[in-house]
Amino acid sequence: MKKNLQVVLMFFFALATQFAFAQDRTINGTIVDDQGMPLPGVNVIVQNTNRGVQTDFDGNFSIQASNGEVLEFSYVGFTSQTITVSADTQDLSITLGEDAAQLDEVVVVGYGTQSKRQLTDNVAKLTSEDIVEVPTPSLQNSLSGKAAGVQVKQANGKVEGGINIRIRGVASIGAGSEPLYVLDGVPLINNNESNNGAPTNPLLTLSSNEIESIDILKDASAAAVYGSRGANGVVIITTKKGGNNKGSFAVNYSYGISETANRRDWLNSDQYIELFTEAAINSYGEVDGLAEAESTFDYLAQGTDWRNREVDTDWQDEAFQTGYTQNADFSASGGDERTSYFFSGAYNDTEGIIRGNNLDRITARANISHQFSDKFNAGMNISFSRTNIDRIANDNAFVNPVQAVAQSPLSPAYLENGDPNPNTLYANFLLQDKHAFYNTVIRRVTGRAFAEYKFLPSLKFNTDFGYDLFYQNEDSYTGSLAPFQSTNGEAYASSVGTESYVSSNYFTFSKIFGEIHDVEVVAGMEYNNTYRRFQSVTGIQFPTDDFQTINSAAEISAGNGITNGNRFLSYFARGTYALDGKYLFKASVRRDGSSRFGADEQFGTFSAISGGWILSEENFLSDADWLSFLKLRASWGQTGNAQIGDFAALGLYSGTSYNQRPGIYPAQPANPLLSWESVDQTDIGLEYGFLNNRISGEIDYYSKVSDGLLFSVPLPGTSGFSTIQRNIGEMENSGVEFVLNTKIIQKEDFTWSTSFNIAKNKNEVKTLPNEGADIISGQNILREGEALQSFYLVEYAGVDPDNGDALYYTNGEGSETTTNFNEANRVIAGTPYAEWIGGLSSNLYFKGIDFSFTFQGEWGASLYNGGGIYQSANGDYFDNQTADQMNRWQQPGDITNVPQARLYAGNGVANSTRYLQDADFIRLRNLTLGYTFPESISEKLAMTNLRVYFSGLNLLTITDYDGYDPESTSDAGQGAGTTFYSAPAARTFSLGVNLKF
Amino acid sequence: MKRYKLILSMLGLGIALTSCEDKLDLEPTQSISTEAALSTGDNIENLLIGAYAEAGQAASYGGRLQMMADLYGATDQVSWNGTFQQPRQVYVKNVLVDNSYVSGFWLNAYDVINQTNIVIDNLAIVDEDNQANIEGQARFLRGLTYFDLTRMFGQQYMPGQANDQLGVPLSLDGIVDYSGNLEIARATVGENYAQVIEDLETAYDLLPEGNSEYAGKYAAQALLARVYLQQGDYAAALAAANDVIENGGFSLTGDFADAFNNDTDGPETIFAFQVTTQDGSNTLITHYADQSNGGRGNDISINDEYVAMFDSEDDVRGEFFYESAQSGDRLTSKYTNQFGNVTVLRLAEMYLIRAEANLELNSSTGSSPLEDVNTVRLRSGADALSSVSLEDVWMERQLELAFEGFFIHDLKRTMQDVGDISYDDNSLVFPIPQREMDVNSLLSQNPGYGS
Repeated sequence: MKKNLQVVLMFFFALATQFAFAQDRTINGTIVDDQGMPLPGVNVIVQNTNRGVQTDFDGNFSIQASNGEVLEFSYVGFTSQTITVSADTQDLSITLGEDAAQLDEVVVVGYGTQSKRQLTDNVAKLTSEDIVEVPTPSLQNSLSGKAAGVQVKQANGKVEGGINIRIRGVASIGAGSEPLYVLDGVPLINNNESNNGAPTNPLLTLSSNEIESIDILKDASAAAVYGSRGANGVVIITTKKGGNNKGSFAVNYSYGISETANRRDWLNSDQYIELFTEAAINSYGEVDGLAEAESTFDYLAQGTDWRNREVDTDWQDEAFQTGYTQNADFSASGGDERTSYFFSGAYNDTEGIIRGNNLDRITARANISHQFSDKFNAGMNISFSRTNIDRIANDNAFVNPVQAVAQSPLSPAYLENGDPNPNTLYANFLLQDKHAFYNTVIRRVTGRAFAEYKFLPSLKFNTDFGYDLFYQNEDSYTGSLAPFQSTNGEAYASSVGTESYVSSNYFTFSKIFGEIHDVEVVAGMEYNNTYRRFQSVTGIQFPTDDFQTINSAAEISAGNGITNGNRFLSYFARGTYALDGKYLFKASVRRDGSSRFGADEQFGTFSAISGGWILSEENFLSDADWLSFLKLRASWGQTGNAQIGDFAALGLYSGTSYNQRPGIYPAQPANPLLSWESVDQTDIGLEYGFLNNRISGEIDYYSKVSDGLLFSVPLPGTSGFSTIQRNIGEMENSGVEFVLNTKIIQKEDFTWSTSFNIAKNKNEVKTLPNEGADIISGQNILREGEALQSFYLVEYAGVDPDNGDALYYTNGEGSETTTNFNEANRVIAGTPYAEWIGGLSSNLYFKGIDFSFTFQGEWGASLYNGGGIYQSANGDYFDNQTADQMNRWQQPGDITNVPQARLYAGNGVANSTRYLQDADFIRLRNLTLGYTFPESISEKLAMTNLRVYFSGLNLLTITDYDGYDPESTSDAGQGAGTTFYSAPAARTFSLGVNLKF
Repeated sequence: MKRYKLILSMLGLGIALTSCEDKLDLEPTQSISTEAALSTGDNIENLLIGAYAEAGQAASYGGRLQMMADLYGATDQVSWNGTFQQPRQVYVKNVLVDNSYVSGFWLNAYDVINQTNIVIDNLAIVDEDNQANIEGQARFLRGLTYFDLTRMFGQQYMPGQANDQLGVPLSLDGIVDYSGNLEIARATVGENYAQVIEDLETAYDLLPEGNSEYAGKYAAQALLARVYLQQGDYAAALAAANDVIENGGFSLTGDFADAFNNDTDGPETIFAFQVTTQDGSNTLITHYADQSNGGRGNDISINDEYVAMFDSEDDVRGEFFYESAQSGDRLTSKYTNQFGNVTVLRLAEMYLIRAEANLELNSSTGSSPLEDVNTVRLRSGADALSSVSLEDVWMERQLELAFEGFFIHDLKRTMQDVGDISYDDNSLVFPIPQREMDVNSLLSQNPGYGS
């Protein structure tokens, strides 16, 4: 007891001394660069405190500090310095040496990090500032336009919509083309588990507030260390950590409203009656035609007076709504020399722009690490999230709200009693909205426990155990009053849990020999086990619609129970060597085995080599003042794509039933030769920096040859199967990427930087099996020498001015025309994938005001409107038509592209280029305008930072495309580049506030 | 710091040991391998059940096949009001080569054929007591499928002629190895019919009389009657139909309505594809029924012209309709039970085949044509006829069998035009599906559909 008291007393004494010691005094100083020029805007902070100032225009500063504290001077592009304050510290004169500026960023490359300066790979790095304030719930959306050659595509405007990221084009045809996502070393489960026909984005569970950086490994040299999973590139997500400083808190809140980025013009009642009366008369003559049209109008109008246009429903207004998005997050981070921590939580609530579509999500994370000794540190990252989504039907369903545009404007949306009108041309989705729901809840836990042991200063061992659990429930009920419901209600409930655990163990040896030989070697192994379990049950016959869970179903009509999984066992090694800081070499290899492939093909080896030369370090360039950095690099490597079904190689028979008696049927034809796709990629790059790196960037040329492509090859149906998985053919993506970053203005209170990127990708299918025979599916074709999934359509030749007949070219544009569609041959008519993609970002800061925006553009792709044959069919059927159909041919001599209106006659209503259009666009993807209050104000509020901002998403789109959105495609799997009643993207206006204290 | 080292090395060692390479051998849990599937007799029998399930799918005998046969032959009896392009093309007799209902039927039919082929190839391992029954059923399904494929994709069989017009490819060996060349050329209509008859006659010989809801002896015989009639082989049709009526043990239902919408096969049913809430598919419901019955409302409405064909006021068949709640249109009451079986063969057809064949042959085998027609009429309350001509029988078939998939086939075999389109016009034969032309260079397209 006595001893304890002593300790306490000592402690207080120590504190008191501290306080006595901690008498602040003012330290003044000047900071210059190595040429003696004053440096304005240098950050001067006292470590482990909140105190900090910036140098003024003449490089002067003054700061309060006490003896023993450490001052840190840092400035972008210069090497940081620290000075410990002592009694005789006064009037400091600091010279900051130039660093290789931003080129000395650290990039995360998988099983380690590397300096960007010495990197021989192509890796695009994005930081939290690039992504955090974009008002969208899907993290990937915020990457749009920000990295060269990285295309981000969300299917359409549904909040949970599936997202494709294509890095340097599509490298696969039949296997997955998504990159591998790795979060803090854990490969993320990225399987779409939706059961309503439209995919969801499995990474919707991630919140951008906890992310520190995203590194996109684009070339083979970078991705080869991920072996059979690296072919589509790798996206490495790193979450935030605490630092060696006092705890600080950040709170952010934003609220925005959303609307459709675009609407289309449809016929109003006047136009509808005019067009369809004409169409009916053209088909059936004056008397019968009028009778046909009027009886239909009578039916559609449901007793309202259509002759006097009593009803003029704009069904778009029923389908779309003003949504909102609300985001709140907080984080706490800090630490000391031994322990660092980061905690965060976030809440997102998004009401979509389509009726019945919304999402809310909570996420939380804790990242903690502790240095047990000089040699040993360990820690754990753990996060969990819950995402709740109210979903609507897939695009190709009658109850998809957007399909309401097909309804006649003569039909009232609601009955007089306020109930949805059940007697419309098509099922009224409002009945579905009212009497049915489809709810999805995703819970996700992702974590990693890690330890690092330094045997020697140059040799360490890392072991990581990662775990990812994706657990999803779907509950749906379709009430007896919903469309197509005849079983007194139907309930569907599913649950699927996928868990993946990964154990990675590797050694890193890193040493500089003789001051000029910088060597690093990483070698290790990894084991990844993924297991999935799915169950679902469907029940029908409910007492009333008040009973909505399976328990009340009088009859269980269907059920499923499925388990599957896959395993990967891998060994990998990577070595880098830098000679004299100028000559760079790297080699990596990974040997991967997977359960997905047949026993003979179970292992594959993937390797890459690369080299670089920093020319600006050479004597002959050292005099060139204008040149601050110049590096040449080249790489070659091989990666694999294992994204196919878990048992794709096996010949399988599955269970079925007939009259409730069990049977079996052939479910999959065997292909014992099935193995991975491999991608050979060559990359040649140049990195440059001029004028003190105020202008910098990269130029890359790449060629990516995918070989042994996995594909569902169509078989003659007479064989009993219509497709088989085969490793067929070869495809090449080649292109150039150009990145230009500038720091136009760098003053104390005024900075302006821009980042521009543009990439061209050319895709060519090189060889196909069966002597190069075309592979056609729907509107898309695979043909040697053409781009992947090119559109293969009969060319529409417009309208015969003499009689209003639709014409088709018999053999593509310029050939003879015919009115008989069956006599016209299909031709290559476009490609669904963009050839050029680009982005332009600008960040401007002026006296507390920040203004940034990102433009994004794509050129060269076309979209096929699969709904065109109904929507723009010159009155072929009573579907409401796009307003441009009023330009139909009416009398001999009319020159138009819209054929004569003929009811039920199919005049020009076949799948042809009539419904194919270029989808080039430039889009103001996001824009942010913020204001940071001066310290004097924030300090009064006990804050270190207070900022308010406006942020907008998709504010402006420049395009000639006529449809809803040049980026919207069908989520119902209707072929590449096909749109089908697909909702446009959301345009969001959001206001937010950031607090730090 | 020793203990960290110790812990780490143990951890590392443990991980290295647990991740042996044999972990990569993972077996599927929902499916079995081809080898396992074809190694036991039980599984071969299961595969036959699977073939019934396959044939009963929406794409073919679940209803689309019957619907398309009627829409193809329909002039003013019915209207197609639905939005689906595929049946509309059939209704307007302008079928495009990429019609997915047409390719769907083709693919489904050959799935059934391959499955029955595999069953037949592996009969040796089936329990000896069951072999005849299993083979008989497999041959019944194969014969049924080839018959409808031939009728849809080939020109009408002409009695007494060569019948070397193109039919469909004849695949008679089960395919389990997909590594080789799978292309196969079309056989002639004559060859197709010969195979159909061989299968069905064999089935008749092999099958037991009663076979619960599966195809039995008389299902094969009834189908043979239909095949012979389609060929214009009246003597054979007569013999087969007579055999079914005399020996099959079937009887007409007391009420006309009882012949339809059955959850289990009734006395009149010779063969039906079974539908339950758990399995099977009745797509006739989708297109013929109102939304409250699980249909799409009024895809196919019945016109006044059809109702006007009934000559007797009390004929319940002339009133076997109801009004669509959605559109007010007239819908048939033959399809109102979403989970009702899809009947393929029922006894009334046999009476009408016997009557027609007897008329053609000027005979009265089993019964007189007049009596047979009146048997069918009187069941529905129609007035008895006093005399009967071929045209009367054809008309009676329309009254009795409408919407059950007979329109186009009856017109073709009786060489009657479809509206103003000649019965042998190219547009009344389905195109070989484009997807099939794309992958099988040995196929030639039907005339009128490009090349």
